[in-house]
Amino acid sequence: MNPSIGEARIRVPDRVVQGDLIVVNAIISHPMDTGFFRNADGQPIPAYFIKDVVVTYGDREIARFTWTSGISRDPIVSFTVRADREAPLTMVWTDNKNGVFKQSADITFASA
Amino acid sequence: MAGNEPSRRRFFRSALVTAAGVLGGGSLLQAERLLAATGLDPDDPEVPNEEVARILQRISGGKPIRRGHVSLDMPLVAEDGRIVPVIIESDLPMTDERYVKAVHLVVDFNPDAHLAAFQLTPAIGSVSISTRIKMKRTTWVRAIAETNTGEIWAAYTRVQVTLNGCG
Repeated sequence: MNPSIGEARIRVPDRVVQGDLIVVNAIISHPMDTGFFRNADGQPIPAYFIKDVVVTYGDREIARFTWTSGISRDPIVSFTVRADREAPLTMVWTDNKNGVFKQSADITFASA
Repeated sequence: MAGNEPSRRRFFRSALVTAAGVLGGGSLLQAERLLAATGLDPDDPEVPNEEVARILQRISGGKPIRRGHVSLDMPLVAEDGRIVPVIIESDLPMTDERYVKAVHLVVDFNPDAHLAAFQLTPAIGSVSISTRIKMKRTTWVRAIAETNTGEIWAAYTRVQVTLNGCG
């Protein structure tokens, strides 16, 4: 069973202490077609890829990635965040056909 | 990272400069001049082709690209060019006063050589980015970090590609 295009998951640690540097892992299902391949019938497969990823933490944009079709199929990306407050971490992926996909994960602090 | 990396890279670089000089029918000087014109660190492993030279110029704004403060972790051999893991890290500070504002990934002989750019803010706390990329053929890969104070730092690694992942 293949997940549908744009299905995304974000993983953050569930036991976070305020001020921790946490690792965020994200994956989205997307073909990331380069436009250089052909299908079985010899028809070219048009370029279809995620070109832009915006990461917000609470109401603040903290990172923005500009991608090409050189990123592998079903793109994964991981990066760190300084967990200084309890807020959702949201990612918005936009592809070259204006598909917009959104996912978020809550950063919450472990109670002492 | 292997301890012999710098000498290995230096060897590659000198070999490539020599090859460029010989193949170009010109003198070694020509290749050296090309390197100088792009404002690159003399440690740069590979004489950039025209497109990569343009990309580097755009990223650096003509400022020198120095080697250091960035690490680029990739396999020496990529069996499948469709999925090549990349880890970029840096020991540069990520504070409100001084931070890395962007990290660029350049793969010299890919159709889209400027493969990705990661615009960052101090809120991410450190430069530690991993992803997976496609590679067309054996070449050098460049990770270039740009600080808010205008410094440009880079790491280079050569990846041998067995299966073309770009079509």
